[in-house]
Amino acid sequence: MENPALFAADTPKRRLLALYEKHGYARYRVGRFEEYDLYAKNRSFITGSAILTFTDTDGRLMALKPDVTLSVIKNTPVGESLRKLYYAESVFRAPDPESGFAEIQQAGLECIGKLDEYSVAEIVSLAAESLGLLASAYILDVTHLGLLRGFFADEGIPEAHWDKLLTLAEAKNTHEVRGDAWGLSDTSAETFRRLVHLRAPLEEGVRELSALPLGPRAADALSELASLAVALREVPGIWLDLSLKADTRYYNGVVLRGYLPGVPSAVLSGGRYDGLVRRLGRDAGAMGFAVYLNLLDRLAPGRPGPDADVLILDEGADSAALLRYVRELTASGARVRVDRAVPEGFRYTRLVRFQGGEARE
Amino acid sequence: MSELLNVALPKGRLGDKVYGLFEKAGYGCPDVLDPGRRLVFESPERGVRYFFVKPSDVAIYVERGAADVGVAGKDILLEYRPDVYELLDLGLGRCRMCVCGKPDHADSGEGSLRVATKFTRITRDYYASQGRSVDLIHLNGSIELAPILGLSDVIVDIVETGATLRENGLAVLTEILPVSARFIANKPSYKFKYEAVTALARRLSDCIEEKL
Repeated sequence: MENPALFAADTPKRRLLALYEKHGYARYRVGRFEEYDLYAKNRSFITGSAILTFTDTDGRLMALKPDVTLSVIKNTPVGESLRKLYYAESVFRAPDPESGFAEIQQAGLECIGKLDEYSVAEIVSLAAESLGLLASAYILDVTHLGLLRGFFADEGIPEAHWDKLLTLAEAKNTHEVRGDAWGLSDTSAETFRRLVHLRAPLEEGVRELSALPLGPRAADALSELASLAVALREVPGIWLDLSLKADTRYYNGVVLRGYLPGVPSAVLSGGRYDGLVRRLGRDAGAMGFAVYLNLLDRLAPGRPGPDADVLILDEGADSAALLRYVRELTASGARVRVDRAVPEGFRYTRLVRFQGGEARE
Repeated sequence: MSELLNVALPKGRLGDKVYGLFEKAGYGCPDVLDPGRRLVFESPERGVRYFFVKPSDVAIYVERGAADVGVAGKDILLEYRPDVYELLDLGLGRCRMCVCGKPDHADSGEGSLRVATKFTRITRDYYASQGRSVDLIHLNGSIELAPILGLSDVIVDIVETGATLRENGLAVLTEILPVSARFIANKPSYKFKYEAVTALARRLSDCIEEKL
């Protein structure tokens, strides 16, 4: 059962879903339960390791969904054309084990099939537009996972050190890079520092990267980013940040994180996850993102708006006339409450007294 | 005037040293020197607002966005792994995370080693990297008592001068990692207040290099 409050006029969720529908994405509805086995096999894809489980009446071990993407991929047949889907669902996770499980509301989209340059650009653009619908200022960080990994391969850095370097990059910590010990020459250590700290609007960032001495593997990833930057030239708020990290067993290519001022962590997360699709036995690519709706509460701290636009006090009204009046107001988009006295603590914008067939302010 | 940069600093001796570095970097706030009972100090002309909090809480203030930047020990960052940027090693508050015990302690390698510590994650990771199974005992203070009273075989703790260990007949057995104060930033703050955060980091870095 959907929470009716979420369908009140002009909620962030409604704005996002309308955006996705406008671009031809179809609503995907999922149940709350899924067989636990799906998550057990793809445990590290899910943020936070704890999963709420229960035994179903037929003995199967089930889970309250900690994630939507896995179910979408598992249940979506792949054909020649792209499957463009959006969703708005709750997931159940324990992001902080000490705080227990939480119901997290997400809205997002998934595009599954043979992705091309346009599909990727459209998804990044929709991620930026999603953020733009939620706040007047936003930042969408973009990276290509092949860039740093390609750089490590080009520089001949032993794979045993890649994860350490990527973890340091994620924290923009370059003071702990032990060049010699990890197979980085002075020059490559300096290039690594520049890559990690590079921060610029996407197109400008790509230009800066092009000036660096990158080898062929990193250059391949850069070339994909360069095409993306050109396609997204007119979309504001997209920045290059190579420090974003994602599990390469699932993710490849472009990865996204979205931020809004006043919200202390990323409100949007996504990327290309061909690896996950292949792990689930599909020969296709996929990309998508999720917006964490719970975090949006942080955008409007303090006292919420009024409980109704119009409070009508029934002071011996003619019921038919009052009902007609209320229907006219609600049809014009107003939120209306009728009562015989002002309810305690109730906040309203207009007060109307209704007597007989007459309304007076 | 643009929005102030909220800076969480650790209370106590390390906080005094760290504030000295910020002052030297051009981010002084005279009220800090005359604190009374105040917890928040503003310098609108320098664009900063300082709060002094318990050292182990700095990372939480920064991760949760109550502070844009802060200074936290590497031990805290490794133990709690907050999702923040670690931009600089300030080189202050240097100490070591060590395995300590009775000087004649020798690990036979058999059974589980009983280890008492406040830093359970660091300890677990360290012994996992050594392939040694351990029985972790989480304590909140007076860790040195544990091997003396036979509660544990060894302890894992911060060692600054080693004086407390010596006074209790204990010694450093192995050094796990060096610890010092780090300049950290909330991720969205870093992005939305990029100029202010990076200017502060640059000035701090310059001061550290001058000192070197």
